[in-house]
Amino acid sequence: MKEYHLKEGPFIKDKKTIDKVGLCLLISLVPIVLFTFYKNGIIPYVNGKTNILGLFYPLIFVLLSTFVTFITESLYYKFYFKKDIKTSMIKALKNYAIFPGLFLALVLPINTPLEILILGGIIASLVGKLIFGGFGNNIFNPALIGALFILTAYSLTISNSGGYLNSYEVDTISQSTPLSNVVTGIGSYDTLVKPYGSLSDFFIGTIPGAVGETSFLLCLIAFIFLTVTKSIKWVIPVFYIATVFIMTFIIGSINDLGIWYPLFQIFSGGLMFGAVFMATDPVTSPVTKPGQIIYGLMLGILTVTFRYLTVYPEGVLTSILTMNMFVFIIDKIGVKIKFSKKWLILPLSIILILGLSISISVGFSYQKTSEVDPNYKIISKDQNDNQTIYMVSEKGYGGNIEARITFEDGKILEILIVNQNESFFQKIVDADYINKLVSSDDVANIDTVSGATVSSTALKKMVINTWNDYKGDNNE
Amino acid sequence: MKGKKIPGYKNMSKSFSKFLNPKYVYIPLIVRDELDVTVLVKKGNYVYKGMMIAKTKKEKYIPIYSSVSGFVVDTEVKTLYNNREVKCLKIENDFKEKYEEDNTYKLNEYTKEEFTELLRLMNIRGMGGADFPTYIKYEADKINMLVVNAIECEPYITADYTVIMNHIEEILEAIDAILEINKIDKCYIAIKKTNSKVKEKINTFLGTYPKIKLYEARNVYPMGWEKFLIREITKQSYNVLPSEKNIVVNNISTIYAIYEALKYHKPLMERIVTITGPMVKKPQNILVKVGTSVKDIIDNVGLKRNKDVVLVCGGPMMGKSVNDNLVITSNINCLLFLKDEELFISDNCFRCGKCSDVCPNNLSPVLIKDNLRNKERLKTLKPNLCVECGLCSYVCPAKINLRDYVVKAKGEVK
Repeated sequence: MKEYHLKEGPFIKDKKTIDKVGLCLLISLVPIVLFTFYKNGIIPYVNGKTNILGLFYPLIFVLLSTFVTFITESLYYKFYFKKDIKTSMIKALKNYAIFPGLFLALVLPINTPLEILILGGIIASLVGKLIFGGFGNNIFNPALIGALFILTAYSLTISNSGGYLNSYEVDTISQSTPLSNVVTGIGSYDTLVKPYGSLSDFFIGTIPGAVGETSFLLCLIAFIFLTVTKSIKWVIPVFYIATVFIMTFIIGSINDLGIWYPLFQIFSGGLMFGAVFMATDPVTSPVTKPGQIIYGLMLGILTVTFRYLTVYPEGVLTSILTMNMFVFIIDKIGVKIKFSKKWLILPLSIILILGLSISISVGFSYQKTSEVDPNYKIISKDQNDNQTIYMVSEKGYGGNIEARITFEDGKILEILIVNQNESFFQKIVDADYINKLVSSDDVANIDTVSGATVSSTALKKMVINTWNDYKGDNNE
Repeated sequence: MKGKKIPGYKNMSKSFSKFLNPKYVYIPLIVRDELDVTVLVKKGNYVYKGMMIAKTKKEKYIPIYSSVSGFVVDTEVKTLYNNREVKCLKIENDFKEKYEEDNTYKLNEYTKEEFTELLRLMNIRGMGGADFPTYIKYEADKINMLVVNAIECEPYITADYTVIMNHIEEILEAIDAILEINKIDKCYIAIKKTNSKVKEKINTFLGTYPKIKLYEARNVYPMGWEKFLIREITKQSYNVLPSEKNIVVNNISTIYAIYEALKYHKPLMERIVTITGPMVKKPQNILVKVGTSVKDIIDNVGLKRNKDVVLVCGGPMMGKSVNDNLVITSNINCLLFLKDEELFISDNCFRCGKCSDVCPNNLSPVLIKDNLRNKERLKTLKPNLCVECGLCSYVCPAKINLRDYVVKAKGEVK
């Protein structure tokens, strides 16, 4: 009698394996790595801003970090599990050891010193992943743990060595990342987008930002590729991005900003990169579809909150790490929703109310500040015949600037600076800035003077505020 | 409702042949789980084909029939589809196929009581795998709908397909009689949308039966599972049995068995089984007798090699691995011969959530696996709803056998 082996079914399985998912992820990152080589290596090199080492620096940066996490994990397996080095390396590779390093390099500023990068990589592997029990058991996204460590412990060192700007951007843009401008106020197209080119630069990714997260376009292509190959939880980025878009659209609409504003918000701060690659990290995100929806929605709300209500303008990293802690609870809710749709009502309405109230209150908070500028004062206002003469003051760089502004027949006749203590006032004189303020129909859109940004912005605010008062009087 | 499209492997086994002359048959002395049966014949007795040789002890007994004519030789222990070892009556075939009587009857001249009685006496049981006595389904006072399940969603299996291609006229005739006898108004024959040959075949003969309609279901697994199918057709779900919604679901092969019972008073003694898989020389469908030893079938069809083979009784998704002491019962629709090799080495779960996405019953197998020791949490995950379709194990990129964990969890929460 022939006895057959008894085995457990099912006896056929889907062709998709963990290795294939990892491979797809790697393929989707290739264009992004090549783009950072182009943006942070080739462009500065072609423009003569860096040497041959600088040309390949972005690639070295990314590969080094990848190598560090791979070696850290291999050595961990070698010494902890006492395996030979070859087995350890294969195990590390199978356990996605390269990804924390790869992602870490892509979310850091290009000017992060290499020794800090190495330290961050080790932290990412050990603290982010291995102490939790390795692949599949970590609660937090390992790459983001490494990044959080570096950005909090070494932020000063990094900004001293150049921060987010590569050698080409330092000379041509001379501003920091786009979102850092949001902290000072709601901003306008000219303060937020124009200094970096146009919205298409944001879309393509030729703007300052972390090593690999500036290109919305490439992240979008990666998202489509990963979704088609069924390699990521596509629901998360969709709800994440949509939430940020809708909330910033509301905020923008309240402040009369166009559709460019929400687009600017989703194109910057590494949002798309974070949404596609970090938020979808399978190990640290919910396993249930409804859970993934809630997770995406909450990430959107948190990111908007971080961007507007805290001093950390990017918000993506912190949002994801925060939400990582709640995955367990979100999946509990997700399971309930899967069994009965009625469980969807409560979380969804909480999220809706939360999202709406944050958008609306943030939106109106900017309106109030633009109506009442605490630094602006009307000292006196005289009206005779067709002339109105204002004496006004506005806080500048070195104390209050006082000026006499004369309006005649709905136009500014003259701006006379009565008193100022500005260090770089000569630059304003040289730029003929005062005359521009007098003659322009659209004061808000005049370029400020570089090298005397604070002073020229103060003067601009002063004129705008006086205009508002003059218009208010004449409409009555 | 989700489900997933999975490869069919159905083209390899579309030919049809008969293997009705095994030297011996082994008739299992069991009815579903009921081992307590009265044997009515003794060693050395001559039995006719279709003669009752044993029956359960209840008043409303279920009979067991001989599928050949010949002499009772002995009893022998054989393996069933679920790996259960059961005593069987070994009967030596005299190849004369002698019936005790040989009459034909009119299909629709039965009352409902006569009909259910006949199904019981002819030992008609679910041939799709469940082995449930069919007469019980028809004892319900009110039946609104009959669903004839011809989905056959498991890969490799073409037994129902073969029955349809060879016996569709008889099947339609039987359905029409069943509808008339039980006063059922609605009837669907459910097939896969993509199965154009079956569709064409049924449509050719469907014209004269206005009550019978074709239902074309999406080509996803496990569409053939009753509950899934009923939800697709009626948008309603039931808890345990379709009878809660006054629906009867019969496998299409069972309908053919009903036809033979009504027409010739012929008990369920033969069925079509798909013999397939990469290890079979010529994959095919074979008409075999209940009680045929799988060894005889193997000798008949031939395997590519006799070592390192895994025999699966049923389809590759839900079927069970068995040894070759297996004996054919009326609910076995497929014998699948696969290579014995370690195909799937499992990795760590990386929580992709695919198992949770595909589960037709909205379970989250990964969370059930995580909480196997946490009884309280396990209850909220409702592992008892699992139908063991195997889709979670199938889809897992880490090749983890999630179904095993869910089945274990089922035991935990009981």
